[in-house]
Amino acid sequence: MRRIWSSLSQNPSICTSCLVTISQRRHASATAVAIAEDNSTPPQTTHIPPVSEAASPKTAYQLRAGVVLSRPPQITRDLTPFEKSFFLYQRRLNERLALPFTRYFYFKKDTPADVDWKRKIKTRLTPARDIGVYNPYSKEGWHDELLVGDRTSEVESQVEALLKDAEVEAVGDKDAQEQEQVGGGKKEAVERPMPRETEADRKGDVRSLDRKLARTLYLLVKDKTGRWCFPSDRLVGKEILHLAAERIIVQAGGINMNTWVVGNAPVGHYSRPFRTPVVDSAKGIEELGEKVFFMKARILAGQANLKENALELTDFQWLAKEEIEGIVTPEYWSDVKNMLATR
Amino acid sequence: MVLYELRTGAPAILRRDAQALFQSTRTCCRRYASSTATEELEQTSSFSTPDPSEDIIKNYDPIARSRKRSVQLPPSRYQFRPPKYYRGPLHPHQPPHPSDPSSREFIPGPFTLPRLEQTYESTIAPDLMTLTYTHFPPGYRAPEKSERLRTWRGDSPYFKNRPLRGPRGGDALRLLRKPITFRNIPRITGVTIHSMVKEAKEDSAYLHVAGMVMQAISNVKVKTHVAKSSVAQWGLREGKYISATAHLKQEDAFHFLSKCVDVVLPRIKDWKGLKGSTGDSSGNLNFGLTPEAVALFPEIEINYDMYPPKMIPGCNIIIHTTARTDRDARLLIRAIGFPFYGKLVD
Repeated sequence: MRRIWSSLSQNPSICTSCLVTISQRRHASATAVAIAEDNSTPPQTTHIPPVSEAASPKTAYQLRAGVVLSRPPQITRDLTPFEKSFFLYQRRLNERLALPFTRYFYFKKDTPADVDWKRKIKTRLTPARDIGVYNPYSKEGWHDELLVGDRTSEVESQVEALLKDAEVEAVGDKDAQEQEQVGGGKKEAVERPMPRETEADRKGDVRSLDRKLARTLYLLVKDKTGRWCFPSDRLVGKEILHLAAERIIVQAGGINMNTWVVGNAPVGHYSRPFRTPVVDSAKGIEELGEKVFFMKARILAGQANLKENALELTDFQWLAKEEIEGIVTPEYWSDVKNMLATR
Repeated sequence: MVLYELRTGAPAILRRDAQALFQSTRTCCRRYASSTATEELEQTSSFSTPDPSEDIIKNYDPIARSRKRSVQLPPSRYQFRPPKYYRGPLHPHQPPHPSDPSSREFIPGPFTLPRLEQTYESTIAPDLMTLTYTHFPPGYRAPEKSERLRTWRGDSPYFKNRPLRGPRGGDALRLLRKPITFRNIPRITGVTIHSMVKEAKEDSAYLHVAGMVMQAISNVKVKTHVAKSSVAQWGLREGKYISATAHLKQEDAFHFLSKCVDVVLPRIKDWKGLKGSTGDSSGNLNFGLTPEAVALFPEIEINYDMYPPKMIPGCNIIIHTTARTDRDARLLIRAIGFPFYGKLVD
């Protein structure tokens, strides 16, 4: 123990806290250190050149924290053609196998609702409202497969069918029946569901958070060198990663964002060597490259605003996973792609 | 000394020999199983066949064709009827698997891809993974733990082959919490709705209504249960039907939970949430709904008049998760949208 301490304390490339705990560690690197100590060979360092006694600067990597700020999907995804036809098939099977609908449990006799039900069941032949015109109990009940070009399994046509069914025609009173004979019954307007495609989608507005509602969107910013990346900044002093992430979110996107940094551990990292090492003369450190540790964060409300940002960012975009691939460098993408959600 | 040399030299010699042998074989008869297999594959695929022509599609009418048939096929020719009884594994006539539509036990489904399930997969599961992640550096060896069930140690000859000693500090052998990885992120496996109807001991109509209500809100057939033993103070007699349960799985469970979170619970006045001390310490959480809250379910509300108003039951709802501890289960249930109140007990 003391031997390790004495040898390591001469090695300036190891930080103090590691120096204290390294002998207590149970994992492989500790063993490797112990073995190296036993053989009394100099430690093999490939990327860090051996430190001489001269006043040459220490070499290190620039440590940065990055934030993967994302907006989770807001609506359900589009079903695949297989899922659509499978669900319709199962629904029709269910109609064939289920017991007959108990009408009198749901509708009292001769009420307007009952009359309305009787009229509607005559046209669609089955209690289920979104499986098209299909009679499960008839002799032709076996014919439950869709023909080519039939759009009954599509979600849009099912929504239309439900909306049409929800329209309640004023029935029962004579005035309405007369009106119907004269021309068109009175129909209550049914509220239509909001469209799945928003205005931002149609305009191609990549700065809006209302785009691609079924996908996860990530905040990408353009830094002063003109590269697109996730917002990141150097760690200041002894800053912890998740606190740094909170600071970066505010410094990059302003205070008009309600965000949540998920967990204290990073979800990914990106490292890149500089072409020419940067010398930080104030600290006496020569920086060989940068290492960015990405923290995961979610935006719950608000919008990014780059005015008065402290990180010298010039532009931002909210992008889905496959759109990010197009604008970042290949090395960045290969390091980053596995921490982004597919949907 | 000679022996020593032989011992050190032998592997090298053997290796050299083997290498030469390998090289000679490599050049003359190289054969890959996969490449020969591809030669046997057909080059054409059914995907590349063109669609049927327009007029075939237009004129295809299976109903008309079947009606045109003068003599119908006997049902025995095209309808498979599974055997009514299972007569053992050696019987030649085996019933089909329950997932087969021709099986007598077949239950159709799923009919939808629930929104909550999609949210779980896209948002909740990755967040739980990040929240509960514990980092182990490569080469980490977990410290050795003492055995969960101790053996009997001592000189006594009766200790031999004796069953292991019971768990420390109680009767129950608690579940082990393993570090959460992408393989064991807690997820919801099901929901149980349970209701014991006290009034059913006098009037069975209460139990019938309770069953109808639970079936309506859960989309699952309920099971009724008899009292196991008589309890004089409660007026309970053994063998009386007294309670009903519905076990929800997969799609039904997800729909039920999202109905609770989005529709029912926000409308309950002064509802604080799930109690912080709930849970069976192995990841299953429980909460209760009053009769007034049960009446708020959309299925009940739409024809509220059809249920006798005094007979709508309250119920207990148990959420089953794969979490090993209540803490993890709570994290999951919170992410879905259930609040908790009071002191959180693990």
